[in-house]
Amino acid sequence: MAVIAVALSSAAGGFAYFMPAIQEAFDATSQVVVVPSPSPSPSISTGTTTPTTTHPPGAFTVLLLGSDNDAKFLGGVLTQSMIIIRFNPTTKKVTMLSIPRDLWVPLSTGGTNKIDGAYALGGAGAAIATVENNFGIKIDAYIWIGLAGLVNVINAIGGIDVVTQAPVFDDFYPYDIGPGNPYRYLRVAVMAGPQHLDGTHALEYVRSRHNDLQSDFGRSARQQVVLLALRAKAAQISAEDVPLLAAAMKGQIKTDMSLSRIATLLPLAGSIDIKNILQVVLLPPYTHGCGCPSGYVVPVWGAILPLVHQYFP
Amino acid sequence: MISRALVAAGVAVLMVFSSVGTYMYLGSRQSKVAAPAQLPTSGTPSPSALNLPGTLFLTQAGAIYSYSAGRFHQLTALGVGWTQLAPYPGGRLLAVKRTLLYSDVYILDRFGKVVRQLTHNTAAARNYDPSARHWSFYPRLSYNQKSIFMSYDKPKFGFDVPMSIWSMPVGGNISQGRLWSISIDYTGGDIQPLSLRTGLIYTKYSYGPDCSGLESQLWFTSAPEQAYGVRVCYPPPGAHGRPLTKAGEGCAQPALSPDGGTMAMICTYRTQVSYLNLASWNGKTLGARRTILRSQLVAQPTWAPDGTGIAYLAPAVQGAGFQLWWLPKAAYTPPTPSPSPVAPTPTPGVTPGPSPSPSPTPSSPPVVIKPVQITSNLGLDATSPIVWLP
Repeated sequence: MAVIAVALSSAAGGFAYFMPAIQEAFDATSQVVVVPSPSPSPSISTGTTTPTTTHPPGAFTVLLLGSDNDAKFLGGVLTQSMIIIRFNPTTKKVTMLSIPRDLWVPLSTGGTNKIDGAYALGGAGAAIATVENNFGIKIDAYIWIGLAGLVNVINAIGGIDVVTQAPVFDDFYPYDIGPGNPYRYLRVAVMAGPQHLDGTHALEYVRSRHNDLQSDFGRSARQQVVLLALRAKAAQISAEDVPLLAAAMKGQIKTDMSLSRIATLLPLAGSIDIKNILQVVLLPPYTHGCGCPSGYVVPVWGAILPLVHQYFP
Repeated sequence: MISRALVAAGVAVLMVFSSVGTYMYLGSRQSKVAAPAQLPTSGTPSPSALNLPGTLFLTQAGAIYSYSAGRFHQLTALGVGWTQLAPYPGGRLLAVKRTLLYSDVYILDRFGKVVRQLTHNTAAARNYDPSARHWSFYPRLSYNQKSIFMSYDKPKFGFDVPMSIWSMPVGGNISQGRLWSISIDYTGGDIQPLSLRTGLIYTKYSYGPDCSGLESQLWFTSAPEQAYGVRVCYPPPGAHGRPLTKAGEGCAQPALSPDGGTMAMICTYRTQVSYLNLASWNGKTLGARRTILRSQLVAQPTWAPDGTGIAYLAPAVQGAGFQLWWLPKAAYTPPTPSPSPVAPTPTPGVTPGPSPSPSPTPSSPPVVIKPVQITSNLGLDATSPIVWLP
């Protein structure tokens, strides 16, 4: 009887240790998503006409959404970052496709607008449907992360190592995380070359777009670099780190994946060689500017869709 | 006969210990990925460190440390924003002090005490315009010790904040400065000046001759610019100096050997790793590259003043902070060629990847000399050049 009691109390100690992580995991995962049907609007004449592709056996496609969720956005938040990530466990290859946030597309919620508004207007379901309708890629799940979430996660794993390909100087970087007026600006200076970045500086590196000729495209490439660095560092964490990470992510990460699905994917992500990760950014000739004040990006579907079918068969 | 109450109490105590013990055991098994970097003064350096001649100056978390005879000494307080050191006559240092909105260049004595502030890049207290402030980075004394070169964000154009290379007279101020480089729009600009008798080498960021991808090249110029300006994508042929390295090499952080005959540089070849390359330098052009360290995150190569090796920064474990390393000269000095070597073909540049080292036929199997890791568990600033004084 005493042995059973001690065993039970030990289990209780373990449960107490992982309890915050379990609670956060249940809060953040298995989010209910309603993916609306493709818009019936007959005026849509882009990727919506393309049938959604089927996966190779076992492949899994995630839509990663990164949002401005600071105090400026008390209502719906825009997605500053939209990256389609395809895992293929058979070939152990990963393809990452960054979608420009200003891409002018028919939204699943109706009408045509910048693609970053889909999440604001209809949540994750609308963002997924908009991507599926336009790119013809079947999305299996989404992961949403807020600004503070990215900072906290990178800090929780002790920072990341990256090679910043060029210095980033921005005199008008939004100073909107934390207390105070969210409309202030900060001067940002991220040096070039190999370096270790904490969460705040990593966010500055991936979020700044003012001093980049390629604007959002350059930023998309930087976001992929930081994702790969995160993946490399995450390979070093142990199960006992999970409560710490859960605390860092609190309320800043959401997904519709179940815990069992995440448990299946995590070892796969860690096992993939960086040489087998393909990064795609939709630079010209796949897109071009509109030459208009609103500054949206016009997709060239005739070039994008063959690319999509090549890398997301 | 032990009473039931006593047994129950004993079991209760055991249960408390086992549950708390399990909790604490799991906590103790957390990985060390998030462990903060140690203070350099708290670590025990490698015994090999005792062989390093002179004194090295490095920065970590905004503080300056000196390193000599195997010991670190903290020279300035933590978190003040000191970074990017350079040698200055009399055993003193040039250093950048960085704040949230601007940075300034100072002269410090060898104990870290401020001797003089050289730039004043802040704006009036009630001026809330972020662009009214300036950045000064990478200060370097000119070869003739009459002026100080630095990377400075003037001119700038709204959202476009490119750094340009400026020189200011020693004892003067930046308003007396001269512009030495025309930076490229929306690149970050020109950084890391290195003044030589024959001219100025610096790192230029551009989109390349075909305006395709943003990357760095070592650039050479022999005269200051005559007027302000800015260029799109890439300098036109014949204007504003000339490139020393090819666009695909992605080279930066030039460091000239004490004898002036070899240039060390960091090249990335459009990857997320870096290579330490050496090339001969004749005062005007670089010779064939030799890759000394490959596929790491190597940064800030710094020659020993007596030419006995190169110090550099690199992580020992991926993502775990940069450490100080030492590469003895024997590791990168080509072995004595046999009487009939196959002459290596000189290659002025390398595309798309790093060139293999020239391979004269050795007379015996070469002895592989590995880099020596000097520190562990530190978080040295990999964007801050190391100073190594005799």
